[in-house]
Amino acid sequence: MEEFEQELRQSLERRPAPPSLKRNLMALRRQHARSRQHFEWQKLAAALVMAAVLGTAALWGGHAWEQRISQQKEEQRQGEAARQQVLIALRLTSHALNHMNQQLAAHNQPD
Amino acid sequence: MTHDWQPDFEQLVDEHQSMVFSLAWRMTGDRGLAEEIAQDVFLEMDRHLAKLESPAHACFWLRRVTMSRSTDALRRRRVRGVDLWVEMKEQHGLALEPAPSPLSNRLEEILASLPEAQRSALILRYQEDLTPDEIAVTIGAPLATVKSNLQRGLKLLRARASNQLQEFVRSRNFAGEAQSDGRV
Repeated sequence: MEEFEQELRQSLERRPAPPSLKRNLMALRRQHARSRQHFEWQKLAAALVMAAVLGTAALWGGHAWEQRISQQKEEQRQGEAARQQVLIALRLTSHALNHMNQQLAAHNQPD
Repeated sequence: MTHDWQPDFEQLVDEHQSMVFSLAWRMTGDRGLAEEIAQDVFLEMDRHLAKLESPAHACFWLRRVTMSRSTDALRRRRVRGVDLWVEMKEQHGLALEPAPSPLSNRLEEILASLPEAQRSALILRYQEDLTPDEIAVTIGAPLATVKSNLQRGLKLLRARASNQLQEFVRSRNFAGEAQSDGRV
């Protein structure tokens, strides 16, 4: 059996690889490296575009938020002013009614 | 885990291209496909270069990935209904390459006819000189399975080789007899 195994070992010696293997491999590797580099640039460009879009969106969002806040403040101020006016009107009305009530009471008193 | 070894891609290709190519060729039986597999394996190694810790690890990694890629290629071809070893004889015959002896050529052809698991075990054992434990780790199979594949493969190979040798001797004798009859 050992002789057979020896023969098998000899017949299964490594065969030399064709020269085209390394040549093609190195060319493919260069090509892959170039496409990887290209992909890196694409990633960078995409990141910059994304950052610009997000920045613009943030600025616009901030501006809109400020506008909304100032609008809310203005509405609050106007509401407060209206409330004050209503209170003054109520106070005047109450005063007038009291006055009339006193006059009626004086008129109805027996002499 | 850190390691000091700095792998050089071109040097690794120079050192291992013959091993990778021979493994792929003997597993698939197709020279062109073996070249494609070898290219894929080395390009994958290039992507994983930083993970290789030592020359021995690189060699182990190459063997393992080559065997796995070759098995995948065989499976794909089987699914497509192509018999590689028939194709090999017609297009990319192993016999085109100079082999050490006619018996060696014959042995390679018979090896090609063995079942895939036995063939891969025998190739790793007799081309790469790996122990059964190392073969088990390389192809990710249980040690007992590898040992059994080695034994069965060797037995089958020997039986087929002796059959072919007997046929060869018989045909030579027949040709010799016919020649001597013609002379008479």
